[in-house]
Amino acid sequence: MSGQQITAYVNAMFDVASANDAVAVVEDEMFRLARAYETNEALRSALSDATVPVARRQGIVEQLLGGKAHNVTVQLASLLVGTGHVSLLPQVADALVKRASSEKQLEVAEIRSAVALNDAQKTRIAEALSKATGKKLNLKVVVDPTVIGGIVATVGDEVIDDSVRTRLDQVKSRF
Amino acid sequence: MNVLSIVLAAEDPSQSHHWLFPEIGEIIYGSIASIVIFSTLYKFGWPAAKKALETRTAKIQQEIDESAAARRNAESDAANIRKALGDIASERSRILADADAQAAAILSEGRSRIAAEVAEMEARATAEIAAARSRIGDELRAEIARLSAVATNDAVRAALDDRTQQELVDGFISKVGASR
Repeated sequence: MSGQQITAYVNAMFDVASANDAVAVVEDEMFRLARAYETNEALRSALSDATVPVARRQGIVEQLLGGKAHNVTVQLASLLVGTGHVSLLPQVADALVKRASSEKQLEVAEIRSAVALNDAQKTRIAEALSKATGKKLNLKVVVDPTVIGGIVATVGDEVIDDSVRTRLDQVKSRF
Repeated sequence: MNVLSIVLAAEDPSQSHHWLFPEIGEIIYGSIASIVIFSTLYKFGWPAAKKALETRTAKIQQEIDESAAARRNAESDAANIRKALGDIASERSRILADADAQAAAILSEGRSRIAAEVAEMEARATAEIAAARSRIGDELRAEIARLSAVATNDAVRAALDDRTQQELVDGFISKVGASR
Protein backbone atom coordinates (compact mmCIF):
# COMPACT_ATOMS: atom_id res chain seq x y z
CA MET A 1 0.00 0.00 0.00
CA SER A 2 2.77 2.48 0.91
CA GLY A 3 4.58 1.56 -2.33
CA GLN A 4 1.57 2.63 -4.36
CA GLN A 5 1.19 5.76 -2.24
CA ILE A 6 4.85 6.64 -2.74
CA THR A 7 4.56 6.16 -6.50
CA ALA A 8 1.42 8.29 -6.59
CA TYR A 9 3.04 11.08 -4.60
CA VAL A 10 6.21 10.96 -6.72
CA ASN A 11 4.27 11.13 -9.98
CA ALA A 12 2.17 14.02 -8.70
CA MET A 13 5.20 15.91 -7.36
CA PHE A 14 7.20 15.36 -10.52
CA ASP A 15 4.32 16.63 -12.65
CA VAL A 16 3.88 19.72 -10.49
CA ALA A 17 7.61 20.43 -10.43
CA SER A 18 7.83 19.91 -14.20
CA ALA A 19 4.92 22.24 -14.77
CA ASN A 20 6.78 24.87 -12.75
CA ASP A 21 10.07 24.01 -14.50
CA ALA A 22 11.65 23.38 -11.10
CA VAL A 23 12.33 19.64 -11.06
CA ALA A 24 16.02 19.95 -10.23
CA VAL A 25 15.46 22.45 -7.45
CA VAL A 26 12.48 20.69 -5.95
CA GLU A 27 14.00 17.23 -5.92
CA ASP A 28 17.18 18.59 -4.31
CA GLU A 29 15.27 20.50 -1.66
CA MET A 30 13.00 17.53 -0.97
CA PHE A 31 16.08 15.35 -0.63
CA ARG A 32 17.65 17.68 1.93
CA LEU A 33 14.38 18.07 3.80
CA ALA A 34 14.06 14.29 3.96
CA ARG A 35 17.58 13.96 5.41
CA ALA A 36 16.77 16.63 7.97
CA TYR A 37 13.57 14.77 8.83
CA GLU A 38 15.54 11.53 9.30
CA THR A 39 18.25 12.98 11.50
CA ASN A 40 16.33 15.58 13.49
CA GLU A 41 14.22 13.96 16.19
CA ALA A 42 12.51 17.20 17.19
CA LEU A 43 11.48 17.94 13.61
CA ARG A 44 10.22 14.39 13.15
CA SER A 45 8.14 14.58 16.33
CA ALA A 46 6.73 17.99 15.48
CA LEU A 47 5.60 16.95 12.01
CA SER A 48 4.34 13.49 13.01
CA ASP A 49 2.49 14.37 16.22
CA ALA A 50 -1.18 13.67 15.48
CA THR A 51 -2.23 15.59 18.59
CA VAL A 52 -0.95 18.81 16.97
CA PRO A 53 -3.46 20.32 14.52
CA VAL A 54 -2.57 19.80 10.86
CA ALA A 55 -2.63 23.53 10.14
CA ARG A 56 -0.08 24.13 12.84
CA ARG A 57 2.20 21.37 11.53
CA GLN A 58 1.91 22.79 8.02
CA GLY A 59 2.79 26.15 9.53
CA ILE A 60 5.98 24.62 10.90
CA VAL A 61 6.90 23.44 7.38
CA GLU A 62 6.22 26.83 5.87
CA GLN A 63 8.14 28.56 8.65
CA LEU A 64 11.06 26.15 8.18
CA LEU A 65 11.24 26.39 4.37
CA GLY A 66 9.60 29.73 3.67
CA GLY A 67 11.93 32.08 1.79
CA LYS A 68 14.65 29.41 1.64
CA ALA A 69 13.01 26.81 -0.60
CA HIS A 70 11.04 26.84 -3.82
CA ASN A 71 7.34 27.47 -3.39
CA VAL A 72 6.53 24.12 -4.98
CA THR A 73 8.74 22.34 -2.42
CA VAL A 74 6.93 24.05 0.42
CA GLN A 75 3.54 23.11 -1.01
CA LEU A 76 4.51 19.46 -1.59
CA ALA A 77 5.93 19.10 1.91
CA SER A 78 2.78 20.66 3.35
CA LEU A 79 0.74 18.22 1.27
CA LEU A 80 2.47 15.26 2.91
CA VAL A 81 1.90 16.73 6.36
CA GLY A 82 -1.71 17.56 5.56
CA THR A 83 -2.54 14.04 4.34
CA GLY A 84 -0.91 12.47 7.38
CA HIS A 85 1.79 10.76 5.31
CA VAL A 86 4.78 12.76 6.45
CA SER A 87 6.39 9.53 7.61
CA LEU A 88 6.77 8.66 3.90
CA LEU A 89 8.83 11.80 3.28
CA PRO A 90 12.26 10.04 3.07
CA GLN A 91 11.02 7.36 0.67
CA VAL A 92 9.05 9.87 -1.43
CA ALA A 93 12.04 12.23 -1.64
CA ASP A 94 14.43 9.41 -2.62
CA ALA A 95 12.00 8.15 -5.25
CA LEU A 96 11.52 11.67 -6.57
CA VAL A 97 15.29 12.14 -6.87
CA LYS A 98 15.60 8.81 -8.65
CA ARG A 99 12.73 9.68 -11.00
CA ALA A 100 14.20 13.09 -11.79
CA SER A 101 17.63 11.58 -12.33
CA SER A 102 16.33 8.84 -14.60
CA GLU A 103 14.60 11.47 -16.72
CA LYS A 104 18.07 12.92 -17.37
CA GLN A 105 19.72 9.46 -17.69
CA LEU A 106 21.60 10.15 -14.45
CA GLU A 107 22.42 7.80 -11.61
CA VAL A 108 21.93 9.09 -8.07
CA ALA A 109 25.13 9.29 -6.05
CA GLU A 110 24.60 9.88 -2.35
CA ILE A 111 27.60 11.41 -0.65
CA ARG A 112 27.77 11.35 3.12
CA SER A 113 30.39 13.65 4.58
CA ALA A 114 31.24 14.67 8.11
CA VAL A 115 31.64 18.27 7.00
CA ALA A 116 29.95 20.44 4.40
CA LEU A 117 31.50 20.31 0.95
CA ASN A 118 32.10 23.32 -1.24
CA ASP A 119 31.09 23.42 -4.89
CA ALA A 120 34.62 22.67 -6.12
CA GLN A 121 34.80 19.55 -3.96
CA LYS A 122 31.35 18.44 -5.15
CA THR A 123 32.43 18.87 -8.75
CA ARG A 124 35.67 16.94 -8.21
CA ILE A 125 33.84 14.18 -6.39
CA ALA A 126 31.25 13.92 -9.18
CA GLU A 127 33.98 13.72 -11.77
CA ALA A 128 35.92 11.12 -9.82
CA LEU A 129 32.86 8.97 -9.21
CA SER A 130 31.74 9.28 -12.84
CA LYS A 131 35.17 8.17 -13.92
CA ALA A 132 35.16 5.30 -11.43
CA THR A 133 31.64 4.04 -12.20
CA GLY A 134 31.36 5.05 -15.83
CA LYS A 135 28.01 6.70 -15.15
CA LYS A 136 26.67 10.22 -15.27
CA LEU A 137 25.74 11.15 -11.73
CA ASN A 138 23.27 13.31 -9.89
CA LEU A 139 25.22 14.09 -6.73
CA LYS A 140 23.37 14.37 -3.44
CA VAL A 141 25.44 15.46 -0.47
CA VAL A 142 24.38 14.74 3.09
CA VAL A 143 26.25 16.14 6.05
CA ASP A 144 26.37 13.22 8.47
CA PRO A 145 28.37 13.73 11.69
CA THR A 146 28.32 9.99 12.38
CA VAL A 147 30.77 9.57 9.52
CA ILE A 148 33.29 11.41 11.78
CA GLY A 149 35.64 12.09 8.87
CA GLY A 150 36.06 11.26 5.18
CA ILE A 151 33.25 10.31 2.80
CA VAL A 152 30.85 7.44 2.14
CA ALA A 153 29.59 7.38 -1.45
CA THR A 154 26.68 5.23 -2.61
CA VAL A 155 26.02 4.83 -6.32
CA GLY A 156 23.24 2.37 -6.97
CA ASP A 157 24.25 -0.81 -5.17
CA GLU A 158 27.90 0.18 -4.97
CA VAL A 159 29.26 1.68 -1.75
CA ILE A 160 32.63 3.38 -1.55
CA ASP A 161 33.38 3.83 2.12
CA ASP A 162 36.44 5.89 3.05
CA SER A 163 35.10 7.16 6.35
CA VAL A 164 36.90 7.42 9.65
CA ARG A 165 33.95 5.71 11.28
CA THR A 166 34.46 2.58 9.20
CA ARG A 167 38.19 2.59 9.86
CA LEU A 168 37.54 2.85 13.60
CA ASP A 169 35.02 0.02 13.37
CA GLN A 170 37.60 -2.11 11.60
CA VAL A 171 40.18 -1.36 14.27
CA LYS A 172 37.66 -2.14 17.05
CA SER A 173 36.68 -5.39 15.41
CA ARG A 174 40.33 -6.52 15.50
CA PHE A 175 40.24 -6.18 19.30
CA MET B 1 -21.46 -94.04 144.49
CA ASN B 2 -22.41 -95.11 141.05
CA VAL B 3 -25.78 -95.46 139.34
CA LEU B 4 -26.02 -99.23 139.75
CA SER B 5 -25.56 -99.00 143.54
CA ILE B 6 -28.24 -96.33 143.64
CA VAL B 7 -30.62 -98.60 141.69
CA LEU B 8 -29.89 -101.58 143.91
CA ALA B 9 -30.27 -99.50 147.07
CA ALA B 10 -33.70 -98.36 145.86
CA GLU B 11 -34.92 -101.88 145.15
CA ASP B 12 -37.91 -102.87 147.08
CA PRO B 13 -37.57 -106.53 148.24
CA SER B 14 -41.31 -106.68 148.85
CA GLN B 15 -42.25 -106.50 145.28
CA SER B 16 -41.76 -109.42 142.81
CA HIS B 17 -41.50 -107.20 139.73
CA HIS B 18 -38.65 -104.72 139.55
CA TRP B 19 -39.84 -101.18 139.06
CA LEU B 20 -37.24 -100.53 136.44
CA PHE B 21 -37.34 -103.58 134.14
CA PRO B 22 -40.49 -104.50 132.06
CA GLU B 23 -42.37 -107.66 132.46
CA ILE B 24 -41.47 -110.71 130.34
CA GLY B 25 -44.62 -110.54 128.24
CA GLU B 26 -44.13 -106.88 127.60
CA ILE B 27 -40.64 -107.68 126.42
CA ILE B 28 -41.85 -110.42 124.11
CA TYR B 29 -44.62 -108.42 122.58
CA GLY B 30 -42.49 -105.42 122.35
CA SER B 31 -39.76 -107.40 120.69
CA ILE B 32 -42.21 -108.93 118.20
CA ALA B 33 -43.66 -105.50 117.48
CA SER B 34 -40.21 -104.13 117.02
CA ILE B 35 -39.30 -106.96 114.68
CA VAL B 36 -42.44 -106.35 112.66
CA ILE B 37 -41.81 -102.65 112.51
CA PHE B 38 -38.17 -103.08 111.57
CA SER B 39 -39.03 -105.76 109.02
CA THR B 40 -41.65 -103.53 107.49
CA LEU B 41 -39.26 -100.65 107.50
CA TYR B 42 -36.60 -102.89 106.01
CA LYS B 43 -38.90 -104.20 103.33
CA PHE B 44 -40.60 -101.01 102.35
CA GLY B 45 -38.49 -98.11 103.66
CA TRP B 46 -35.00 -99.38 102.99
CA PRO B 47 -35.28 -99.55 99.15
CA ALA B 48 -36.66 -96.07 99.06
CA ALA B 49 -33.95 -94.83 101.39
CA LYS B 50 -31.34 -96.78 99.47
CA LYS B 51 -32.62 -95.38 96.20
CA ALA B 52 -32.65 -91.88 97.63
CA LEU B 53 -29.07 -92.39 98.85
CA GLU B 54 -28.01 -93.76 95.47
CA THR B 55 -29.74 -90.87 93.71
CA ARG B 56 -28.09 -88.45 96.02
CA THR B 57 -24.77 -90.22 95.56
CA ALA B 58 -25.20 -90.13 91.79
CA LYS B 59 -26.17 -86.47 91.95
CA ILE B 60 -23.18 -85.68 94.11
CA GLN B 61 -20.93 -87.67 91.77
CA GLN B 62 -22.45 -85.85 88.81
CA GLU B 63 -21.84 -82.54 90.52
CA ILE B 64 -18.30 -83.66 91.33
CA ASP B 65 -17.82 -84.64 87.67
CA GLU B 66 -19.32 -81.37 86.50
CA SER B 67 -17.11 -79.47 88.87
CA ALA B 68 -14.11 -81.36 87.57
CA ALA B 69 -15.14 -80.62 84.01
CA ALA B 70 -15.72 -77.01 84.88
CA ARG B 71 -12.35 -76.92 86.53
CA ARG B 72 -10.74 -78.44 83.46
CA ASN B 73 -12.57 -75.92 81.28
CA ALA B 74 -11.51 -73.15 83.58
CA GLU B 75 -7.92 -74.37 83.51
CA SER B 76 -8.13 -74.62 79.72
CA ASP B 77 -9.59 -71.12 79.51
CA ALA B 78 -6.90 -69.92 81.87
CA ALA B 79 -4.28 -71.54 79.66
CA ASN B 80 -5.84 -69.98 76.60
CA ILE B 81 -5.95 -66.61 78.28
CA ARG B 82 -2.34 -66.97 79.36
CA LYS B 83 -1.45 -67.97 75.82
CA ALA B 84 -3.48 -65.07 74.42
CA LEU B 85 -1.74 -62.72 76.81
CA GLY B 86 1.52 -64.06 75.55
CA ASP B 87 0.40 -63.56 71.97
CA ILE B 88 -0.75 -60.03 72.74
CA ALA B 89 2.58 -59.21 74.28
CA SER B 90 4.33 -60.70 71.27
CA GLU B 91 2.06 -58.79 68.85
CA ARG B 92 2.62 -55.60 70.81
CA SER B 93 6.35 -56.11 70.58
CA ARG B 94 6.08 -56.86 66.86
CA ILE B 95 3.92 -53.79 66.22
CA LEU B 96 6.30 -51.61 68.20
CA ALA B 97 9.23 -53.04 66.28
CA ASP B 98 7.45 -52.43 62.96
CA ALA B 99 6.60 -48.90 64.03
CA ASP B 100 10.19 -48.25 65.00
CA ALA B 101 11.39 -49.67 61.70
CA GLN B 102 8.91 -47.56 59.72
CA ALA B 103 9.81 -44.45 61.68
CA ALA B 104 13.48 -45.09 61.04
CA ALA B 105 12.80 -45.66 57.33
CA ILE B 106 10.70 -42.50 57.07
CA LEU B 107 13.35 -40.54 58.92
CA SER B 108 16.08 -41.90 56.69
CA GLU B 109 14.05 -41.23 53.56
CA GLY B 110 13.23 -37.73 54.72
CA ARG B 111 16.87 -37.02 55.46
CA SER B 112 17.88 -38.37 52.06
CA ARG B 113 15.21 -36.32 50.29
CA ILE B 114 16.10 -33.16 52.16
CA ALA B 115 19.76 -33.76 51.45
CA ALA B 116 18.97 -34.22 47.75
CA GLU B 117 16.81 -31.09 47.68
CA VAL B 118 19.48 -29.08 49.44
CA ALA B 119 22.07 -30.38 46.98
CA GLU B 120 19.79 -29.52 44.05
CA MET B 121 19.15 -26.03 45.44
CA GLU B 122 22.86 -25.51 45.95
CA ALA B 123 23.57 -26.66 42.40
CA ARG B 124 20.84 -24.40 41.01
CA ALA B 125 22.04 -21.46 43.06
CA THR B 126 25.60 -22.09 41.93
CA ALA B 127 24.48 -22.24 38.29
CA GLU B 128 22.41 -19.07 38.67
CA ILE B 129 25.33 -17.29 40.31
CA ALA B 130 27.61 -18.42 37.51
CA ALA B 131 25.06 -17.35 34.87
CA ALA B 132 24.55 -14.00 36.59
CA ARG B 133 28.30 -13.53 36.85
CA SER B 134 28.70 -14.37 33.18
CA ARG B 135 25.78 -12.13 32.18
CA ILE B 136 27.04 -9.25 34.27
CA GLY B 137 30.50 -9.80 32.83
CA ASP B 138 29.11 -9.74 29.29
CA GLU B 139 27.03 -6.66 30.04
CA LEU B 140 30.02 -4.98 31.62
CA ARG B 141 32.21 -5.84 28.64
CA ALA B 142 29.54 -4.60 26.23
CA GLU B 143 29.11 -1.39 28.21
CA ILE B 144 32.86 -0.87 28.37
CA ALA B 145 33.05 -1.51 24.62
CA ARG B 146 30.21 0.92 23.99
CA LEU B 147 31.73 3.61 26.21
CA SER B 148 35.10 2.92 24.67
CA ALA B 149 33.63 3.30 21.19
CA VAL B 150 31.90 6.54 22.14
CA ALA B 151 35.05 7.85 23.78
CA THR B 152 37.15 6.80 20.81
CA ASN B 153 34.74 8.44 18.36
CA ASP B 154 34.66 11.61 20.42
CA ALA B 155 38.43 11.65 20.78
CA VAL B 156 38.98 11.10 17.06
CA ARG B 157 36.30 13.64 16.17
CA ALA B 158 37.96 16.20 18.43
CA ALA B 159 41.31 15.45 16.86
CA LEU B 160 40.01 15.99 13.34
CA ASP B 161 40.32 19.70 12.64
CA ASP B 162 39.00 21.34 9.51
CA ARG B 163 42.28 20.97 7.67
CA THR B 164 42.35 17.25 8.37
CA GLN B 165 38.73 16.94 7.28
CA GLN B 166 39.54 18.62 3.99
CA GLU B 167 42.53 16.33 3.55
CA LEU B 168 40.28 13.32 4.11
CA VAL B 169 37.88 14.61 1.44
CA ASP B 170 40.72 15.23 -0.97
CA GLY B 171 42.10 11.80 -0.18
CA PHE B 172 38.75 10.24 -1.03
CA ILE B 173 38.62 12.10 -4.33
CA SER B 174 42.14 11.07 -5.22
CA LYS B 175 41.53 7.47 -4.25
CA VAL B 176 38.28 7.24 -6.24
CA GLY B 177 39.72 9.08 -9.19
CA ALA B 178 42.68 6.75 -9.32
CA SER B 179 40.63 3.60 -9.01
CA ARG B 180 39.70 3.23 -12.71
